Amino acid sequence: MLQKLTTAITEMNEKEAVAIAEKLLNNGTEPLEVIEACQKAMEVIGRRFSAGECFIPELILAGDMMKQISEKAEPHLKQDVAVKKHGRVIIATVEGDIHDIGKNIVVSMLDANGFDVLDLGVDVPVAKIVETAKEFKPSVVGLSGLLTLAFDPMKAVVAALEEEGLRKNIKVMIGGGMIDEQVRQYTGADTFGANAMDAVIFAKKWTGGKQNVG
Amino acid sequence: MSDKTETELLYEAREKRFNDAVSLKKPDRVPIVSLTNFFLTRYGGITDKEAMYDYSKMREAWLASIKKLDWDFVPGIFTFFPGKVLEIMDSKALKWAGHGLGENILYQYIDKEYMLADEYDEFLDDPNGFVVTKFLPRVCGIFKPLGELLPIPWLASGYTAPVLGATLAGLPHYAEMMEKLIEAGKEMTAYNIHQAQLVQDAKEMGYPMTAGSYSVAPFDSISDFFRGLNGTMLDIYRRPDKLKAAVDYVAPHVTQFAINYAAMTGNPRVVIPLHRGSGAFMSDEQFAEFYWPGLKRLLLDLIDAGLTPIPFFEGDMTPRLKYLAQLPPGKVAGHFDIVDKKKFKEILGDKMVFWGDVPGSLLVTGKPQQIKDYVKALIDMFADTGGLIIDGAVEGVPPESKPENVEAMTEAVREYGVYQ
Repeated sequence: MLQKLTTAITEMNEKEAVAIAEKLLNNGTEPLEVIEACQKAMEVIGRRFSAGECFIPELILAGDMMKQISEKAEPHLKQDVAVKKHGRVIIATVEGDIHDIGKNIVVSMLDANGFDVLDLGVDVPVAKIVETAKEFKPSVVGLSGLLTLAFDPMKAVVAALEEEGLRKNIKVMIGGGMIDEQVRQYTGADTFGANAMDAVIFAKKWTGGKQNVG
Repeated sequence: MSDKTETELLYEAREKRFNDAVSLKKPDRVPIVSLTNFFLTRYGGITDKEAMYDYSKMREAWLASIKKLDWDFVPGIFTFFPGKVLEIMDSKALKWAGHGLGENILYQYIDKEYMLADEYDEFLDDPNGFVVTKFLPRVCGIFKPLGELLPIPWLASGYTAPVLGATLAGLPHYAEMMEKLIEAGKEMTAYNIHQAQLVQDAKEMGYPMTAGSYSVAPFDSISDFFRGLNGTMLDIYRRPDKLKAAVDYVAPHVTQFAINYAAMTGNPRVVIPLHRGSGAFMSDEQFAEFYWPGLKRLLLDLIDAGLTPIPFFEGDMTPRLKYLAQLPPGKVAGHFDIVDKKKFKEILGDKMVFWGDVPGSLLVTGKPQQIKDYVKALIDMFADTGGLIIDGAVEGVPPESKPENVEAMTEAVREYGVYQ
């Protein structure tokens, strides 16, 4: 049944996937096992996405299926059992840019792949990212921006993290339609991603998580 | 001897240079034509906020920059909006300089579901009614009273239309809406006068306008304006037939709009910003099923109407080149962002001009020599057919570009781009 759930998700059979998950949960299957079956599906989809075999509709639909199933699993979870997370990631679209399509997909993919993600939203000032990083203590900060106006704020975040002495414990990844190696060098970020799955791959590498994507 | 003035001859020569490149005939020199916007006003010394609120400053800055850069065409002005009009209309879908964004920040569109998933039937059953009573109040605050309108056929009676119309107009919130509309109309007219003057001034300086009309791909019309990215991507799986029906419905309208607009301005070039069909967004099969039929029809209909479509491709178009090869050669001015140029040469080299694609990252953070090298490489690659026009990539020349880099791009065309 768990394998069937994984397959239903990877085959984009939404109704079937949700129905199987419901059945499993109602039959007393451990909710964590159900979530793990979903995560397995997300790993397959992530690999297919990186290989150019599936695209944004599949990422969004799979993310949505995972969300629906997680919500159904939640009431079944025992309070003392916490879902193990890979690591903490802060994601933000930088100051001046209000685009969130790419950022939202990255957040959903990191979440589905077991990261503890804090999404600060769009048009986020440098100071807010740095202050949040002090409290949340993430391993990774991901900065998003669609327009060229995002380059300078990204650079400013990297510089501010450096100044506050936070940089040695935090890796910075950047992404967006116009981000390339030229911009990575300009901003001082550790890496740039060409797509949402790159963010998962980098975050797993940096948090020592099992690298089962890509 | 021609009795044309020197600027008239310059105007014709510039237009010919562009047209030759589009039809893959070697012009005298590689044209440089940019689809930029706020770079020109910043280069002319004013902020984005000033450019949106002070129409004469905008016009002066625009023309001063054009004179200094001496590109072949003047960038189109559709991508400008008068800030005051947006304020009066209470635009909900945009944020702009001084209104939700800093004074020197490009305006931005808020991607959202302006039509909900369960509203497809209502839209398809009565698109006009839906747009008037649901869509408009969601994107413009002043249209809120329209949300109360009963189905429009309710007004259709020769007996009662006068009194029903007058009754509506007499209601305080409708009266207020109409007063604001009149105010917005006056402001828009003031703006339009400046814009018409800009076009005229440019013409007198010998520069044609890049485009005189615009349109959108039918799929993008539904995705950008109605359902949002998330909405349409889920619709592909959850309600594909409804999505296709909505795309089919808007298809003839986006074409007609572009044709009418071009007739009004007398300029045959139609710029079409394209969003969701890129290789990053959907699979080839999804593109073939949902996106391409509408875009192809739009492009062919515009060509049939004697117009030159300028599809402005955003994102990676490499996987779609084989579809573009179905279009008649030399008729479409494709503006590219990310594309495998070797494959472009193979598949489209004898069919479509390559217009682009100096990366925004280089223009903003690079050095003049890098820009020159990039332009030279483009010329080396594409000049054999004459099918090359130089511009930046996805934002044309982005607002944050370093002036010296844009100047280097311009110089490089003059230095390396003269055909023997």
